[in-house]
Amino acid sequence: MEKNKLGVLLLIGSEAIFFLLLIVAYVSFRNVDTGGPTAVSSLDPLVTGIFSLFLFSSSFTIWRAGKSLLQGRRAAFQGWLLATILLGLVFLAGQAYEWRSLFAQGATINTNLFGTTFFTLTGFHGLHVLAGLTALAIILGMGRAGVDFQTAHPAAVESLSLYWHFVDVVWVVIFGVVYVTLLV
Amino acid sequence: MSRIPLVPESDIPLPGLRSDHGLLSWIASVDHKQIGIMYLLATLAFFLIGGIEALFIRIQLARPENSFLAPDTYNQIFTMHGTTMIFLVVVPMLLGFATYFVPLMIGARDMAYPRLNALSFWLLVFGGLLLYFSFVGGGQPVAGGAGGANGGAPMAGWFSYAPLSERPFSSSSGSDYWALGLLAVGIGTLAGAINLIVTILRLRVPGMSLRRVPLFVWMVLVNGFILLFALPPLNAALVMLLVDRQLNAHFFTPLTGGSAIMWQHYFWAFGHPEVYIMILPAWGMISEIIPVFSRKPIFGYEFVAGSSVAIGVLSFAVYAHHMFTVGLGHPFNAAFSAASMLIAIPTGIKIFNWIATMWGGKIRFTTSMLFAVAFIILFTIGGISGVTFAMVPIDWQMTDTYYVVAHFHYVLFGGTVFAIFAGVYYWFPKMTGKLLSEKWGKWHFWLMFIGFNLTFFVQHILGIVGMPRRVYTYPDLPGWGTMNLISTIGAFVLAFAVLVFIGNVLVSLWRGQPAGDNPWDAWTLEWATTSPPPVYNFEQVPPVRSRRPLYDLAHPDNPDWKRNR
Amino acid sequence: MDSLLNAGSPQAQAMQSMFFWTLVLGGLIFLLVTGLVLAASIRYRQRANDDEPRQIFGNLKLEIGWTIAPALLLVFLFGWTLQTMRTADPAVAATNQDPDLVIIAHQWWWEVHYPKSGVVTANEIHIPAGQKILTRFESADVIHNFWVPEIARKMDVVPGHPNYLWLQADQPGLYQGACSEFCGAQHAWMRIRVIAETPDEFAAWQQAQLQTPAAPTGDTAVQGQQLFQQKTCMNCHTIAGSGATEQIAPDLTHFASRATLGAGVMDNTPANLNTWLTNPQAIKPGSHMPDLKLSADEVNALTAYLETLQ
Repeated sequence: MEKNKLGVLLLIGSEAIFFLLLIVAYVSFRNVDTGGPTAVSSLDPLVTGIFSLFLFSSSFTIWRAGKSLLQGRRAAFQGWLLATILLGLVFLAGQAYEWRSLFAQGATINTNLFGTTFFTLTGFHGLHVLAGLTALAIILGMGRAGVDFQTAHPAAVESLSLYWHFVDVVWVVIFGVVYVTLLV
Repeated sequence: MSRIPLVPESDIPLPGLRSDHGLLSWIASVDHKQIGIMYLLATLAFFLIGGIEALFIRIQLARPENSFLAPDTYNQIFTMHGTTMIFLVVVPMLLGFATYFVPLMIGARDMAYPRLNALSFWLLVFGGLLLYFSFVGGGQPVAGGAGGANGGAPMAGWFSYAPLSERPFSSSSGSDYWALGLLAVGIGTLAGAINLIVTILRLRVPGMSLRRVPLFVWMVLVNGFILLFALPPLNAALVMLLVDRQLNAHFFTPLTGGSAIMWQHYFWAFGHPEVYIMILPAWGMISEIIPVFSRKPIFGYEFVAGSSVAIGVLSFAVYAHHMFTVGLGHPFNAAFSAASMLIAIPTGIKIFNWIATMWGGKIRFTTSMLFAVAFIILFTIGGISGVTFAMVPIDWQMTDTYYVVAHFHYVLFGGTVFAIFAGVYYWFPKMTGKLLSEKWGKWHFWLMFIGFNLTFFVQHILGIVGMPRRVYTYPDLPGWGTMNLISTIGAFVLAFAVLVFIGNVLVSLWRGQPAGDNPWDAWTLEWATTSPPPVYNFEQVPPVRSRRPLYDLAHPDNPDWKRNR
Repeated sequence: MDSLLNAGSPQAQAMQSMFFWTLVLGGLIFLLVTGLVLAASIRYRQRANDDEPRQIFGNLKLEIGWTIAPALLLVFLFGWTLQTMRTADPAVAATNQDPDLVIIAHQWWWEVHYPKSGVVTANEIHIPAGQKILTRFESADVIHNFWVPEIARKMDVVPGHPNYLWLQADQPGLYQGACSEFCGAQHAWMRIRVIAETPDEFAAWQQAQLQTPAAPTGDTAVQGQQLFQQKTCMNCHTIAGSGATEQIAPDLTHFASRATLGAGVMDNTPANLNTWLTNPQAIKPGSHMPDLKLSADEVNALTAYLETLQ
């Protein structure tokens, strides 16, 4: 395996454990009742689900971007890349919207254990999305400046894609553990 | 003056910088050898600071009810001593050796990610400075912890148990500096781990399969994986603590539903693998040094390598042996006791491998070898007391006493630090082109051996007679004062030994005997180039058909690959 | 000597025995390893002009052997561990949690309650010898650890997680211990005194502890009582019958019946009490009793009063 892909996979392995532990904290405190807002009372799985679809579909678009690059189709590559970034931004906007509505309900990171664990978990996920978007923007910028990835940085896009898929998968897990469990 | 290797010219030279020599070339360097040396110098500096902290501790404890240090100050000092030695000395010093020697040992030109390598180093420096800034920056009168603005370094111990480390009980910023400093250092260390793993897996010279890499490289590889999975629990815990402290959250505050025990789970899920992180590369060094000075190959390469992989995996399964007194129930304790005993097996058998390597050899007692042999004995003592801790009822009496302080100093100082000194005497010639003085070295060794045992052996007894750890003073109970005084005297002997070592380094750098390429007649690839190596490492890498390429070159009629594999 | 090697209960006996024999075993292993190392060092030291020794790479049988042998030893040690755990820490049934003794750890003192009799005291724990006393541990603040090596294992005292222990001393006597989990500035002076007594003595002690103290006689002591009520003492300390009911600080109702003050930092003598009251921060800096800036007369009066509280 190419060295940069290996490097990113190792990073992903490490970060996976980090998120796992934040999720474990969320789950283990879920049944501690100290009053105040709870997941049941304050979260909206449907709206968050819709915003999540934007993030999930961005995995498709980045995959298309990678394929276009391999086929040497520069314009398509940049287009799919841009789509990925926009979809990611919509997801983050959705997160911001959700957070604001939670603040309005009086649920903040220090209100109670739900607030503490929820905002820490989703906050760190959001940070990782932001980091990914930044990297994607840099790649897009380099592409528009005429950098030939195939020769200069053959594994860059693929490595970044791996990271982006990871961020997506983490959200699948968070969405499942935090939101889907509210529906059953 | 030793020759400092040149920094490679970058593709697009930055305007206005003189990048070929001088201080700037070091600061801007992405060469693994320069970075490695910087690691060693920085961690040596932290070692001296941590050592001074230890001397302060020992002065305060030399007599019962001493008043050399205020309780507040003492508690900051022991916290910083532990934090410094673990995060700013042992782990990064081993990383520094790996950074310097792994690429050489595998015949590579540099690490996989040279710039990331530099970032790792500078994060260590930054994180360390941030941590130490707390002495001056964190000072506020501390309400729950103590009374008085005696500096604001963290004072909740190096493992910072909650809720003591939470705002209500640690109102100075010390714990924040602690968490932030460790996050910075930790990120650098994680980057270093990824760098080393990718380097070892991808940059080996053709012919050097994983079954032929030096054992030091094996240990660094396993270590990289342990770091990869042990740092996340620490980072999660640190982040959660900061969120609690800075944003008034509730992770570890029992009064509002949080869990003090969760901190312990998360911390020790890092903290136990951490101690293996601190010993594996040391075992690697010993596994290089003993064969060379016994003039025989390592006995049982496969078992030594394989047992390290086993330890890497098991290290995550034993962590709650730090929590036997928390009250989590007998089945829980029994499970972790079993795992802790299990891990003793791959740990212990290496002792036999090393002895069997010496057996039948022709042993040269260079200073390096003296440290390596002492390592075997001292690590065994620490290992035995470690097994006593796996036995839960013994732990129920001896944990949190000076017996455990003795235990971990035997494995970390008698173990790792002695191994590091063995490595220093072994590899200093390669890094500088000069040999360290053997005469000074013998003095260093014997002073250190005597000083170490004087300091720490008596602490086993102090624990047995009931002295808890982390106490700024103690009552005048029979024998306690005398034993503590002996320990303090030992600490000063140790300090003197360190001075002798520094003296040796300075004298040898100034006018040490030139080393040549391979002063020890060793067999691994780092010895197949000049001392110090040129910036590109090798003119030409020798062919690699076995674990000892240079042995093969020197024995064309009888190479390893003909009679072994 | 307050050491695990001076066992005073069946539980401590189990731990002592295990520790002693394990040390013997450890000692033997140490001698074996050190002996081999020294033997190799002496026998195989390089003499002048030596040729290369035989290059041996390993011996599978030997290595398997020295893997299996320690493994078997550890299996034995594990079995021994399981058995000794039961003796050293007898089980507390999940349903039977009606403690005889409740100890609440504070930053830097021990609050002691006897729920069945109503006795409340601090730092010094009386128990009837020869009986198993079910003890519950709670923390009012951070994690502490209760350790009296001659009679029991260490038990963490964790906020939010009460722990149970059977406390037992075979013979009457004084058993000393200390907090053994770093708990802040004055962790070093959070000492424990367990006083095991014959059943009669214990009953007598209990009776005495339940009495409300007689009103003090003598001007100084009376003045001291008034000062106790006027100054902020009552905000933290309780003395039965005085109207104070806070348990933020040690209960002083029978203060004079205790051998030490400040959780062991000083012996309880009038001179020491005087020093303490003059400025507690000079003796136990960081403790939660502030320097009340009392005048010498006030200190004398309070001392006189407190020393009447037998």
